[in-house]
Amino acid sequence: MHIIETAGLTRRFGTITALEQLDLAVPPGITGLVGANGAGKSTLIRILLGLLPPTSGTARVLGYDVAAQGTQLRQFVGYMPEHDCLPGDVSATEFVAHMARVTGLPGDAARERTAETLRHVGLFEERYREIRGYSTGMKQRVKLAQALVHDPRLLFLDEPTNGLDPAGRDDMLDLIRRTGREFGISIVMATHLLGEIERVCDQVVVIDGGRLLRQGPLADFTAATGTLLVEVEGDDDALVDALRAQGFRVERDGRYLLLPVAGDHVLDAVRDAAADLGCGLIRLERRRQALEDLFRPELEAADAAR
Amino acid sequence: MPPADPRAGAIYDLGYRTYEGPRLGRPAAALALYTFTLRGCFGIGRRTGAKVIPFTVTAFAFIPALIQLGVAALLGSRVDIIAPWNYLGYSEVPVALFCAGVAPEVFGRDLRYRTLALYFSRPLLRSDYALAKAAAFITALAVLTLGPLLLLVIGNGLASDDLAGYVADRWRELPQSLAAGLAIAAVAGLGSLAIAAWAGRRAYATVGIAAWFLVTLPLANILVEIGGGAGRYAAWFSPFDLLYGVALAIFAHHPGPDSIQARAGLPIATYPLLAALHAGAALGLVLRRFQRVQA
Repeated sequence: MHIIETAGLTRRFGTITALEQLDLAVPPGITGLVGANGAGKSTLIRILLGLLPPTSGTARVLGYDVAAQGTQLRQFVGYMPEHDCLPGDVSATEFVAHMARVTGLPGDAARERTAETLRHVGLFEERYREIRGYSTGMKQRVKLAQALVHDPRLLFLDEPTNGLDPAGRDDMLDLIRRTGREFGISIVMATHLLGEIERVCDQVVVIDGGRLLRQGPLADFTAATGTLLVEVEGDDDALVDALRAQGFRVERDGRYLLLPVAGDHVLDAVRDAAADLGCGLIRLERRRQALEDLFRPELEAADAAR
Repeated sequence: MPPADPRAGAIYDLGYRTYEGPRLGRPAAALALYTFTLRGCFGIGRRTGAKVIPFTVTAFAFIPALIQLGVAALLGSRVDIIAPWNYLGYSEVPVALFCAGVAPEVFGRDLRYRTLALYFSRPLLRSDYALAKAAAFITALAVLTLGPLLLLVIGNGLASDDLAGYVADRWRELPQSLAAGLAIAAVAGLGSLAIAAWAGRRAYATVGIAAWFLVTLPLANILVEIGGGAGRYAAWFSPFDLLYGVALAIFAHHPGPDSIQARAGLPIATYPLLAALHAGAALGLVLRRFQRVQA
């Protein structure tokens, strides 16, 4: 069962092609939609929500045809746009309760869920104040709350950490992860920041220039590499010499020592050598491939092809 | 492969519960939007400052009715100057002010705050959105165009010495008032919304609506006076002259000899027809705008 399926999805704006022949099948879970600015992420989300008709191709979300069954589908999805979308002249409580009703919830359920959802996103006393006085972080929380208030099965988040400071970004990502993991709501999160994907997502869809570049579980993108990363406190030059003397190929990368892992005996050797030299072992880990390392060649290739 | 049901085996946070209750879909969504917009037209649920203009202007619209009822109570019930059939003549300014002040906000705030994307990603069609909002504004405007008429009819009845005779004599005024009040609200409201929807900026919308109501009034007067055979049709296109004609038709009243309707000499029955055309064209413009606008 896929929550999103598209076939030959194409969208042109005049002479610009925003999406080209996109075939997607996204399983439930938290999906990162990655791509540079202008890659077509927002266009894809807007088509899936029925905000924008595709030029050609079809899309099904939660089993509903986006074009023919839009109003049924949109009872079960939530959308947090990238841009500002909150009226300044009402309170968060008033607005979120209104949006709950506009999604079809009866009045008392709307009120109840508004209170719960605003608490979930971390808005308390300030929820009775006019939205115009809110900080960016609080506005992002209200945007998330209005997308969640009707308990959607699928949540579309477009650059949810836009404009947030590092602490606000951490909070928002944490909130998104909890929403996806603990409440079982599938999430599609568009971002151009790969670090956010690594922290939150189960799977990744990479698009560039409106085309699907790659799709798969996050683990495929960040598989452990055959490199051991060592960081020690003390005389690391001596440690390098000692390890090289044992026949290991050791390279240096700033404070880190890198050496190939052929098996567990390599880890033992590093531990023993460090102990013999009296070095404090700070870090001893298999290096993971960073998402970015993987995409860089692909994105560059795609750039070059254009 | 993840489980077919993504919710299976989920651990729920204290305080967050899934919602298993009814989802009422499009009709409820449109009704919610209607109610929210209607409240917004009078600034209810907003800061106090937002209530001042709509409530003051609404009060102005009721003043002629209150004066008539007061005079009738003091001087006896036969003083009948301000009546449902000619009430629009006394409430043009508040009606125009309400339209110019409130109509631009009906769609304008959703465009300005970019809330449209949130509405259109919910179980509403674009036409549902436009119709619910238009219905809300027409209802708000009907408070000004219908409210005083009902007050007059009911007040006159209660103040008369012989209520039974009054009812037997003049019961028609109640359905006539309903029809006239709603027709005026619909035509004036839809016209204002059509201007507001296409004006772009709030200031343009306000000026455009005020001009539609007030600049056309002397213009039609001049054209009917000096325009000859073709000029008389101007009475169809000045909204207040048109709607005054509608009220005359509904209450089956003859226009006074000095009135523009008498001078233009067009059959009174044509005014409701032209009003319906105006309303239809305005509604078409509103729907078209929101069929195309980018959310």
